[in-house]
Amino acid sequence: MRRTVPLTLAATLLAGALAACQGGGEESSTAAFDPATCQGGTLSVLNQGGITHLDPARLYTSGGGNIPSLLFRTLTTRNRLPGEAGTKPAPDLATDLGTPSDGAKTWTYHLRDDIFFEDGTPITAADVKYGIERSFAPELPGGAPYLRDWLVGAAGYQGPYKQPDGLAAIETPDPKTIIFKLRKPEGDFPFLATATQFAPVPQAKDKGVDYENHPVSSGPYMVAAYEKKKSLSLVRNPHWTKASDTLRYACPDKIEVTSGLDAAVINQRISTGAGPDAYAVTTDAVVGPEQLAQLGSGSELDKRVARGEFPSTIYLAFNTKKKPFDDLKVRQALSYAINRTSVVNALGGSAVAGPSTTFLPPQAALGYQPYDYFPAGETGNPAKAKELLGAAGLSIELAHENDDANGLGPKVAAAVQDAFKQAGITVTLTAIDSATYRDVTGKPATQPALSLQSWGADWPSGGPFLIPIFDGRQIITAGGNFNLAQYNDPAVNAEIDAINALTDPAAAAKRWGRLDAKIGELALVVPLTHEKDVYLYGKSVKNAVPDGWRGTYDLARVSVK
Amino acid sequence: MRVLHDRGFTVGAAIALVMVTVAVAAPLLTAWEGQDPTTFHNDLLDSARGGVPIGPLGGISGDHWLGVEPGTGRDLFARVVFGARVSLGVAVSATVLQVLIGVGVGVAAGLGGRHLDAGLSRLVDLVLAFPILVLAIALLAIVPPSWPRPVLLAVVIAMLGWGGTARITRGETLTLRARDYVAAARVSGAGPLRVARREILPGLASPVLTYAAFVLPTNMITEAGLSFLGVGVRPPTPSWGQMLSTATTWFRADPLYVAVPGGLLFATLLAFVLVANGVRRVLDPRQRTEVLR
Repeated sequence: MRRTVPLTLAATLLAGALAACQGGGEESSTAAFDPATCQGGTLSVLNQGGITHLDPARLYTSGGGNIPSLLFRTLTTRNRLPGEAGTKPAPDLATDLGTPSDGAKTWTYHLRDDIFFEDGTPITAADVKYGIERSFAPELPGGAPYLRDWLVGAAGYQGPYKQPDGLAAIETPDPKTIIFKLRKPEGDFPFLATATQFAPVPQAKDKGVDYENHPVSSGPYMVAAYEKKKSLSLVRNPHWTKASDTLRYACPDKIEVTSGLDAAVINQRISTGAGPDAYAVTTDAVVGPEQLAQLGSGSELDKRVARGEFPSTIYLAFNTKKKPFDDLKVRQALSYAINRTSVVNALGGSAVAGPSTTFLPPQAALGYQPYDYFPAGETGNPAKAKELLGAAGLSIELAHENDDANGLGPKVAAAVQDAFKQAGITVTLTAIDSATYRDVTGKPATQPALSLQSWGADWPSGGPFLIPIFDGRQIITAGGNFNLAQYNDPAVNAEIDAINALTDPAAAAKRWGRLDAKIGELALVVPLTHEKDVYLYGKSVKNAVPDGWRGTYDLARVSVK
Repeated sequence: MRVLHDRGFTVGAAIALVMVTVAVAAPLLTAWEGQDPTTFHNDLLDSARGGVPIGPLGGISGDHWLGVEPGTGRDLFARVVFGARVSLGVAVSATVLQVLIGVGVGVAAGLGGRHLDAGLSRLVDLVLAFPILVLAIALLAIVPPSWPRPVLLAVVIAMLGWGGTARITRGETLTLRARDYVAAARVSGAGPLRVARREILPGLASPVLTYAAFVLPTNMITEAGLSFLGVGVRPPTPSWGQMLSTATTWFRADPLYVAVPGGLLFATLLAFVLVANGVRRVLDPRQRTEVLR
């Protein structure tokens, strides 16, 4: 998963903690909450990232995103429940999660009857099909790449502007039925159908690249005003009904999003809660040290914190085709030498990050299986690393981003450098501009031999976590490659295909976990930390319960009344 | 020495001397403390509270004289004294370079022909008109990471900041060349190089020295600014500007982490400004009576 779209940024920064940690504070603020009577008021959203795009074709979201999900209903959506239960999709525009046939290569959906656009026009299967086709247009880049890979004959499709005949792989036999024909079995299709590319777009209202100035809403809110990267103002969509959508409570009458603020400022404002800031939340500013230092000391702020978990791992990526990382012993030595406590502290402490010895983060939905083949303990095992490397020692270069915003910056790099120094390994740090970091590391020709990386789940399943990183057929030489180890094992590739064909998430999860544990023995990566989410919310905000899919509270469910 | 009667100069010079001594003796001082600037101390941090140092005042103790850095546990005293090396080193070398370039160009413009003067003066205008910080950020962002950063910083700051020195030198040179003794030297057959070296340069010493004393603190601010913005020295090398940059998110949780590098930067800048003032009062003929009074 990538972090290019600010709306998804929120989710990629961390995850964590468990109902147990949430404490009684949340209880008291939610006790008075009732979805039936929560309507009213104006919710203020204070964010760092500007909303650069509002076109459903161009958004890259996990589970439909937080803000986009207020505007766009999709075939399925995340079920918005807290904790483990929240990692499952639920029907949204469709009546169910879809019916697989032909060994999960064909997926059939039926639309509800009571669904309308903001102008009162009924939503049809053709609108959903058109929305998906638009996302293939080169004029509207930015979405997740899965559909192009999965749909039959979609690899070269250029979108409805150049090829108005559309995609034959999507059939709409009647206005309420839509059928997808896939190239290969994909049991995770109901998870993918939560993406904004599955939002209906009325062809008559499509203005190409300008559509995002006022995308036609199918959700509980519609756009009143939108200024790119600055502000977004949402009001109620009169044609959306509560009866048609039990997942979104849509409590506030208005939602005002302000972007481009500094994280420290956002958290300070929410924590102080002066005036309208009492009704403020954020979807992308994780608490900073200022607030963390106050938390847990019995202060009033303890009652206004939402702790959740977004599946994401920060790790060291080796290129196993380059010296010295082609040598398993070297990779093992570095795995032993790493000091995960330093990395956790560099990321902001144990409240916002936890040590990881596995590539899969510790979520059951992903199939997490604990393993620790190269025990480094809490603070590293330099003696074991020295023993593996012999007297010669080692001198290596580590590439990292030039700022700390994504957790891949100089702070973490310096922590890694110090840990390796204890084992006699000299590390030279190479900072790369964060705007081009993924471009440089994603092209095998320019890829550094060792780099700091992070990976987050496009949906809570092992597939989107392991496939881009370890499937040998996903090594892309042109750029956009994430298999940085250049690892290609036919047996692993075959196992990936076999798991993809499973439509039972629990069975698939078990095998993803086993696959991760098997690949882990090769030390292709050094997992460093998994993320934890800690978000503040305003004094007068209710029901700010983090959902299990994204780790943050759901704007469609919070109330300010 | 007359200058020592100036109280501001005395105080400034004393502080500056201490800072320079600290910078030069950084390895000795940290060895005395028993720490080094790069080793992490996770056991001194409260990880659950974001990594703030355990204990009051940023974890000050007998082992860590100024406490430790939040988030890493690196010794703050060691980082501050090693940071002084970068901050002072870059500022002083940049100033020396600026003076060399500025005086060279200024004298050439002042003594050269009309065309050379016009050409060089426009070049000086160009350099003076450039927004230094923006250009420096752009330059520092594109150079390969293998180049030594402090040297690069000094060179970039100098290349973008020699305009003022050149402008003053040219003006002073024009005044000096009209003097009788310079004319006498020319008449007696001295070439331009000899005139520049023997007759002009000694006369330039006081205005240039005065100006340099004022440029030095400015260069220090530029270095701190660049490091603050993330294009300065690379980690784990410490510098005051870089420390201030990371400290901005900690100023409530650990005020000492901001106060130490901030206070030192302030004191050093003040010291150099006081020194510069003192030098100016003594060397500037128009001010001389005032000092003697």
